[in-house]
Amino acid sequence: MKPFRTARGGDVVGRLEPAEAGIVGLLLDQLEQLLEADAEDVGGDPVIARLLPDGHRGDAELAADYRELTEASLRGGKADDLAMVRATLPDGGGEVRLDADQAAAWLRTSNDLRLALGTRLDITDDTEPPEEITGEVDQQLAVYYWLTALQGSLVDALVAGRGGRS
Amino acid sequence: MAGPLAPTWTPETTNEERSDLDRPWVTIVWNDPVNLMTYVTFVLQELFGYDEPTATTLMLQVHHEGKAIVSSGPRERMEHDTSRLHAYGLWASFQRDS
Repeated sequence: MKPFRTARGGDVVGRLEPAEAGIVGLLLDQLEQLLEADAEDVGGDPVIARLLPDGHRGDAELAADYRELTEASLRGGKADDLAMVRATLPDGGGEVRLDADQAAAWLRTSNDLRLALGTRLDITDDTEPPEEITGEVDQQLAVYYWLTALQGSLVDALVAGRGGRS
Repeated sequence: MAGPLAPTWTPETTNEERSDLDRPWVTIVWNDPVNLMTYVTFVLQELFGYDEPTATTLMLQVHHEGKAIVSSGPRERMEHDTSRLHAYGLWASFQRDS
């Protein structure tokens, strides 16, 4: 991966290795399946609970009202973001060049991927990147921290770009 | 308040009712171990127009104290703010100010 940087004209540009683009593509498929799954099949799934959280803590009625009011558009926004990331993901790796809307979609979707993986892996403030990969959990942790680096560079590039605008 | 526009009749309101009606609603961001500090600061600036020092202070409050109030106002607006934060994956909720 070549981290995202601000390019001339306001775009942000990064580069993904073929294997990295492949991993992102797989993760997008998994996220999409999870978000499109029947509520009955994923009810109580902690990842769904984290991606589509309660709006009110402690009052079930207010939480239900909020869900009815907002969940469809929250799901729709995630689906739109996911489609935009997929459309700008270079097949087989290569340059990723994003305008402001595309960068925002990558930002939110990479965050959702980290939330999903982080919830599955039970990440805490004390979790450390694996020193060597000896099993499947280490592999997933490595992907989580790779996504962290990707998203971190995207935030930094957007902050730098905003500084340049004002 | 006396004068030509002062009400001649005031509906009876108990103190309890009044304080309940006067209490605004708030939107709270809760700490979570996944969201990057730089990302939380960035999102607070994007969504609420906070300058960088204000957004950083709120982010640090979330990080160190577990939560921070990021906006306050009528319930409908707090629901809207909560949904905008949820769209960015921040862990947010609305409630009546305590």
